[in-house]
Amino acid sequence: MGSLLTVKDLKLSFSTEEGKVEALDGINFEIEEGTFHGLIGETGCGKSITGLSIMGLLDNNAIVESGEIMYKGQDILKLSERQLQRNIRGNEIAMIFQDPSSSLNPVFTIEQQIEEVVRMYQRSAKEKYKQIVVDELKKVKLPDAESLVYKYPHQLSGGMKQRVMIAMMLACNPSLLIADEPTTALDVSIQAQFLKVISDLKEVFNMTVLYITHNLAVISEICDNVSVMYAGRIAETASVHDLFKNPQHPYTYKLIHSVLGVENSLDELEEIPGSVPRLINPPPGCRFHPRCEERIDKCDKEVPQTVEIAPGHTVACHRRGSQ
Amino acid sequence: MTKKQKYWIRRVVRTIITAFGVTLIAFLILHLSKGDPVKIMLGPYATEENVAALRAKYNLDEPLHVQYLTWIGNVLKGDLGNSIRYNRSVNELIGERIGPTLILTGSGLVIAVVFGVMLGISAALRRNSLLDYFSTFQAMFWISIPAFWLGILLLYIFGLQLRWVPIAGMTGFTSIILPALTLGLRQEAWFARPMRAEMLEVLNQDYVKTAKAKGLKYRIVIWKHALRNALIPIVTMLALRLPWIIGGSVVVEVVFSWGGIGSLLVNSVLARDFPVVQAILLIIAITVVLANLFADLIYSVIDPRIRTAG
Amino acid sequence: MQNNDVTYENIRNDIKNLKRKKSSQMSLVWSRFKKNRLALVGFIIVSIVIFIAVFAPLLTPFDPLATDPINRLQGPSKEHWLGTDELGRDVLSRLFYGSRIALQIGVLIILFEGAIGILLGVVSGFFGGFVDSLIMRIVDILRSFPVIILAMAVAGILGQGVVNVVIALGLVGWTTYARMVRSKILSIKEMDYVEAAYSIGESRFSVVMRYILPNAVSTAIIMICIMMPTALIASATLSFLGVGVQPPSPAWGSMISAGRDYLLKAPWISTSAGLAIMFTVLGFNFIGDGLRDALDPTTKKN
Repeated sequence: MGSLLTVKDLKLSFSTEEGKVEALDGINFEIEEGTFHGLIGETGCGKSITGLSIMGLLDNNAIVESGEIMYKGQDILKLSERQLQRNIRGNEIAMIFQDPSSSLNPVFTIEQQIEEVVRMYQRSAKEKYKQIVVDELKKVKLPDAESLVYKYPHQLSGGMKQRVMIAMMLACNPSLLIADEPTTALDVSIQAQFLKVISDLKEVFNMTVLYITHNLAVISEICDNVSVMYAGRIAETASVHDLFKNPQHPYTYKLIHSVLGVENSLDELEEIPGSVPRLINPPPGCRFHPRCEERIDKCDKEVPQTVEIAPGHTVACHRRGSQ
Repeated sequence: MTKKQKYWIRRVVRTIITAFGVTLIAFLILHLSKGDPVKIMLGPYATEENVAALRAKYNLDEPLHVQYLTWIGNVLKGDLGNSIRYNRSVNELIGERIGPTLILTGSGLVIAVVFGVMLGISAALRRNSLLDYFSTFQAMFWISIPAFWLGILLLYIFGLQLRWVPIAGMTGFTSIILPALTLGLRQEAWFARPMRAEMLEVLNQDYVKTAKAKGLKYRIVIWKHALRNALIPIVTMLALRLPWIIGGSVVVEVVFSWGGIGSLLVNSVLARDFPVVQAILLIIAITVVLANLFADLIYSVIDPRIRTAG
Repeated sequence: MQNNDVTYENIRNDIKNLKRKKSSQMSLVWSRFKKNRLALVGFIIVSIVIFIAVFAPLLTPFDPLATDPINRLQGPSKEHWLGTDELGRDVLSRLFYGSRIALQIGVLIILFEGAIGILLGVVSGFFGGFVDSLIMRIVDILRSFPVIILAMAVAGILGQGVVNVVIALGLVGWTTYARMVRSKILSIKEMDYVEAAYSIGESRFSVVMRYILPNAVSTAIIMICIMMPTALIASATLSFLGVGVQPPSPAWGSMISAGRDYLLKAPWISTSAGLAIMFTVLGFNFIGDGLRDALDPTTKKN
């Protein structure tokens, strides 16, 4: 199974009133076909922006400085808006967003919104469309799909809306699904239910998913591989098993040990001192160095290179394997 | 009783109270003057007899509330009174002139909404471009010109100098152009700016991103998904601007000697023909009140969030 | 982090910090305003008009009321820069004195409307309940009449003159102010520092005095700049329609009306007054827009 999507050295910035924000500084990762690849980091580290840039859905003030995004042998970063719309969005790569309340158009029924997609990607006889829509909804285990289709988004709960989103995007028959923090806006009690639907995607539909989140627990549950992001750079990439067993990057280590329930007890709950840097004037050298306990002299001068310390396990830190 | 029904009952009650208040104001306005209205109207050469006769004819010696009740009673029966100046029934006078006013107000409204909405959308789509700045600037320009002067200016350029259009009165099809433009262009600014703001806000919404993510064509994303949301507040805007459009049409009628109820109103005020003034004030205000109610109704239908609520 | 000592001092300091944020916000607003070029242009225009209005007697070569029938309807010349009108009066001088009338009436209207409107708005917002409903119902009723129409009727009944125009527009136009102030009061009532002050027992009256009123004052100042265009156009329109300020008084609106009959032969009469109104109003509109953007830049930029 080869790689479906490879991000190579992606550098991206935003021009704002206050100056240039260096949002992504050399992002590298590879998503294998048929796997769930997690992208984890704190708010503001650029993970959502990574997802949006794959789809070409960034705002107008975004500047791609350099890099490639290879998808099925093609660099989709270089595609025009028209080509993206026609060839990539929907039928190849689909995306679901964080807040289901605002992601669905409030003035159209569920049926209208999904039928739009079905009409585009699953051409069939006109009378059959409604049934196809209902079938798609059933795929994500939505109860009472026949009557649900006539409802408006505001009449559904958050969890149901999010499942509608998935159904809608699945109906496009994409090869890759990007999920941008899909459970963040949901109640904790709904999250488990929702995750079941997501994991079905892998088992039943064999989908390839890029799962973006700040929740380490979710990653450990459903992802195969994971990339840890910090301040616009990838700190570490590994299989989920290796990451939790043998975390390399100081940030990853802190991340794992600041989460309750992941191999530690209440007493060991640690906090990472300091805060995420603003990307207008990021720290020189390694961007994590101001908060790192293991920092050495080099860390504020040179940007650490990404090094493979074990098969499939890479890390960018001066103190790991680069010497 | 559902919440929705309760809401509408309260709304209708409010409308009735407002309508009642409106009749009070229309009536009381003309009794603000300190002098005897009849004496002022008849002028300094009126005899005592004439004054007394006129006063009796128009019930001016009765106490205020009796006058009011008589008047309202007649109005509800469909009788708007008698014009002192023309000595004709007000119903007749208004009936003759309501048509031109409706034509003028209607065409002005159409120009305002169509131009305003189109400009607003275009400005939002090409944000910060030359078109955008132009649209903002022209909006500010139009609301800085008094309607009456704009009318005179247009009259001067296109009527007197260029002779493209007639300069006064209702003489056929071309004579509506300048008045309608004067009215419409000024009001257009009040639709263009909110339309732009609303469109920009809608374009920022997540569901527009979703529509794009689905792979929909740009055209469909804008005209179907975005616009359907952005146009909803326009209904409210229309109801809000109606008083101003009517007010503007009165001024325009005076400038262009357009024979509608607006110019009738102005002349009647100057001539102290208070039955006419009362009647026209009443008609205008009731129209506005009803239009507001109607707009609320339409809004509740076109926005699914409200339509399907409780 | 077990600091359960929520003392009076702590809350007081928090309130002070919130207020300091508010006043530094004010200087931020002012600097944003200065950067807006259109707003500066507006500021210059308005300053010029104010200057002309104040120093009119020194600037005008002729008496604006002095008729000179022999020289009527003369075009612009070295002697009469903007020509003469139908009674031979110097148009330029009338224009300058007209600025006095325009600004005077404008300010008086706004103050009168503002006084009624702000008072009723504060009462409505502060007390809520039945009083609020009553006042809002009156607002609804008044707003069913187009302002110009109702004001014209009132002014027509009251008679000519500056005072009557002010009264007419004042009685009719206060609703805008009342609404604005009421919604501002309602939103301030919810704000943090008011809640905090209540909680430590300050009396309702002192809360109004110290926290709500300063906000209301800055709102009022901005309101004047924003409402001036409406007031100017309204009073000019009334003059044009034949009520309010009439000739021989050199109000811009009545100048345009009088000049209407001579559009072909002597367009400068109407045109000069019309341009004067237009530029003054534009100036205030630029300032008003600049103020609005300075206070809430989120709607303009990204």
